[in-house]
Amino acid sequence: MSTVPAPALSASTHAAPDQAATLICLPTLTGEAFDATLDHLRRAFPLQPIIVATPDPVPTRSSSDESQIRILNYTSSSSPHGAWVPTAADYLNAWTLAREHHPQAVLLLGAEAASVSPDTLRRLVSGVFDQQDLVLPRYPVGPRDALVNSAILYPLTRALFSQHVRFPLPIDAALSPRMAERLATTAQRLTSTNQADAFVWPVAEAAVAGFSVRDVAGDQRTLPLPGAIDLNSLLSNVAGSLFADIEARASFWQRARLATTAPRVPTYATRSTAADANPLDLAPMIDSFRNAYTNLRELWSLVLPPNSLLNLKKLSLTPPETFRMPDALWARTVYDFVLAYRLRTINRTHLLGAMTPLYLAWVASHLRMVDGDATLAEQHIEAVATAFESDKPYLVARWRWPDRFNP
Amino acid sequence: MKKACSATDPLWYKDAIIYELHVRAFADSNGDGIGDFQGLISKLDYLQDLGVTCLWLLPFFPSPLRDDGYDISDYCAVNPSYGTIDDFKQFLDAAHQRNMQVMIELVINHSSDQHPWFQRARLAPPGSPERNMYVWSDTDKLYEGVRIIFTDTEKSNWTWDPVANQYYWHRFFSHQPDLNFDNPAVMEEVLNAMRFWMDMGVDGLRLDAIPYLVERDGTSCENVPETHVLIKHIRSVMDAEYENRLILAEANMWPADVRPYFGDGDECQMAFHFPLMPRIYMALRQEDRLPITDIMAQTPDIPPTCQWGIFLRNHDELTLEMVTDDERDYMNLAYAADTRMRINVGIRRRLAPLMDNNRRRIELLNSLLLSMPGTPIMYYGDEIGMGDNIYLGDRNGVRTPMQWNSDRNAGFSRADPARLYFPVVMDPTYGYQSINVEAQQSDASSLLQWTRNMLALRKLFQVFGRGTLEFLAPDNRKILAYIRDYQSEDGTHSETVLCAANLSRFAQPVSLDLAKFAGRQPVEMLGYVPFPAVTDQPYPLTLAPYSFLWLELQPIVSNVVEPTEQQMEVPEP
Repeated sequence: MSTVPAPALSASTHAAPDQAATLICLPTLTGEAFDATLDHLRRAFPLQPIIVATPDPVPTRSSSDESQIRILNYTSSSSPHGAWVPTAADYLNAWTLAREHHPQAVLLLGAEAASVSPDTLRRLVSGVFDQQDLVLPRYPVGPRDALVNSAILYPLTRALFSQHVRFPLPIDAALSPRMAERLATTAQRLTSTNQADAFVWPVAEAAVAGFSVRDVAGDQRTLPLPGAIDLNSLLSNVAGSLFADIEARASFWQRARLATTAPRVPTYATRSTAADANPLDLAPMIDSFRNAYTNLRELWSLVLPPNSLLNLKKLSLTPPETFRMPDALWARTVYDFVLAYRLRTINRTHLLGAMTPLYLAWVASHLRMVDGDATLAEQHIEAVATAFESDKPYLVARWRWPDRFNP
Repeated sequence: MKKACSATDPLWYKDAIIYELHVRAFADSNGDGIGDFQGLISKLDYLQDLGVTCLWLLPFFPSPLRDDGYDISDYCAVNPSYGTIDDFKQFLDAAHQRNMQVMIELVINHSSDQHPWFQRARLAPPGSPERNMYVWSDTDKLYEGVRIIFTDTEKSNWTWDPVANQYYWHRFFSHQPDLNFDNPAVMEEVLNAMRFWMDMGVDGLRLDAIPYLVERDGTSCENVPETHVLIKHIRSVMDAEYENRLILAEANMWPADVRPYFGDGDECQMAFHFPLMPRIYMALRQEDRLPITDIMAQTPDIPPTCQWGIFLRNHDELTLEMVTDDERDYMNLAYAADTRMRINVGIRRRLAPLMDNNRRRIELLNSLLLSMPGTPIMYYGDEIGMGDNIYLGDRNGVRTPMQWNSDRNAGFSRADPARLYFPVVMDPTYGYQSINVEAQQSDASSLLQWTRNMLALRKLFQVFGRGTLEFLAPDNRKILAYIRDYQSEDGTHSETVLCAANLSRFAQPVSLDLAKFAGRQPVEMLGYVPFPAVTDQPYPLTLAPYSFLWLELQPIVSNVVEPTEQQMEVPEP
């Protein structure tokens, strides 16, 4: 974690007359969900003045007469249907409101905000009061949940930016004012080019700025789903956005051989349900990978070096009961796709599409290995992240000298 | 309110990689045999991909073209051969969209004799404001002894004008009369021209030939104090009306004489380091670092907002004005054995022929260009190793059409080859059939790919544009070694780089005193390869012929884990 301290956020700072300690930005919610969220906020901050900003018309029955909660309405420039995670428009809205009301902390809540517990809300905001610039929640997930994050987003962010944040594309986030401002600057660039729904990567942003980052344990929360898009599109959107962000920040993450600072033993909360114990049919995923090995092999050969191709060939011949993609192979594969994205080796949409079967191979391998055990799953995800860290010099070397004549 | 610049960082020029090109020579869109702005626009993706960040356009204004456009007949228009003002605006916007800045020429020492100002001046009565736009005299003895720059063509700095019945002053060709900056109307016109282009969004101006702006009897008519008053005025107007714009000084002088052109940071932000360039070539040929270390030792400090512009080649001859007579003789013998390769006080050849087309020598010189203090300025075509044509007159041999592919006219133009403004290079070694962009784009080992990788690498490290320089002094003088060091202003990071270059054609050993960096971990920057840690003992290196090493001296990190190939392997099914 970075160590540059945030400005002191004591109650005496920013002495505006109508100043509230915390600004909470809500997404579009139903009336019931709004009331539930307000109730959670009331319980989370019983003695603290807060401002709750909602894009929905304020229900008259909810216009609380409690002095510590002020509800205001704002015009959201984000997608009317809301995104599954906050996007550029949401970060920009948050800073616009923060600039007006001078809070000491900004809490940005994503879809299904009503399911965030009061304790989680309190922990997030306390982190900012504890001089952190960016505090992100670490919600318990099952062994079959959030696998794009576990396979790509988390290990890449951790390896490149040395930030042990389990969910770098957050659903909810607590921000110091300067963090909110910095994110808004990035968001502004995106919204000004008609990319209001673009993802923003706050962990990378904080790392580059030298701001402090923490992730805190969250209670069970309803995790919003990315809507009715197929895996190909989801992977393309999310990975494409992260790869572009990595490209833009190359001068930062290449600058030093960053040491890891967090323990390698997983400490993350895990959740297993009865459903997780049900056997999964992995065959379709493995078949998808095998078919792709036949159909996309030529395209992969433009992206991947011979050693990786050879290992993928072996993997394609491996029977399902022993199907296992080595962590190092996965890490190197992702790195080579990051490089191909940067070099525009092939059309970027096609490139990201060609990554989907490889991702499915990783998922099949992961699920077979963890067998519904959430703890095992977390251990494996940590091992994957470590593999990404170990292989970071490969990425840096090829980024600097992208000669295809390599092992 | 000041007009914004396309660059938000006021010191953008320190991190820039400048690419010098002539619109006429780059790409012809309409098949008339002359490059134009639409052609240039079509090649912007190439330039972006190459990695350059600032385009320096040679003069593209209306001109009789008797000095490659430096003889301007209208300062506020585009030469119709190249397009229109709208074409220029379209080019400017397209460059900015690709995060490239644009620098143009402000040739204010002289105009063309075809400029309406000069034509009016000839007819106007002596002493009138129109006449006084230029420098006139009844005698050619005024300012006697002032050196002649174009020694091959000019016998005097004065030329008799039969219409005016007076001599007019010109430091360059006789068709380029010097403007008279003792007349305030001249400065007003200069500022009008500056505003005309900067209002459109031009990011920088190269002030051509500025040591010669003012003449004073009894002096060399170079670098006279009044010149600095003029430049300060131009800068103050620019700063008052525009944000983050750049002035680059062309002052072919010794470093100590160039230093005043930076002022206290209130004149030019950048100036060419002319004497360094020939000494790089000299050091290489003599296999001795002394010419480089010697001239850098004579280079004074400059204000923190200022920067040297460094280059290997440009559109002019490889100038040998800033060397001694012996050094000039040596350079001519070493690099211009054929007298047709010489012009004025210099050598009219491109980089690749100067290096005998030796790839390692070309790479070595480019490594120096990219790692010495200053902003590197590349000349179009050198990224693919283009050759020259010494049989063309003046300096036109280095101004031939850009070689895009092996098609007719090198892909530069669809015109009948006879219509081209200059013929493309066609010799067996450097001809467009073998040396062209398309071929090198498809060759992973080409000079173009190498250059692209090097530019990308340089841009990752601000130390090259902003860091300090300290030469090391190993016993082996065939090795040039120096430390570049940079601490960011906000203190968030520092970069320290050791650069070592073998100037010899044979492998060389060297021991470097790096004791003050003891405990650091050198990491080879191209391949990100860790080298043995530095101790307080001499640090031994062996460099292959004409090779170079860039080593970033990093704090040691103890728990970086290197992967093994075994970790990647899938067990046999």
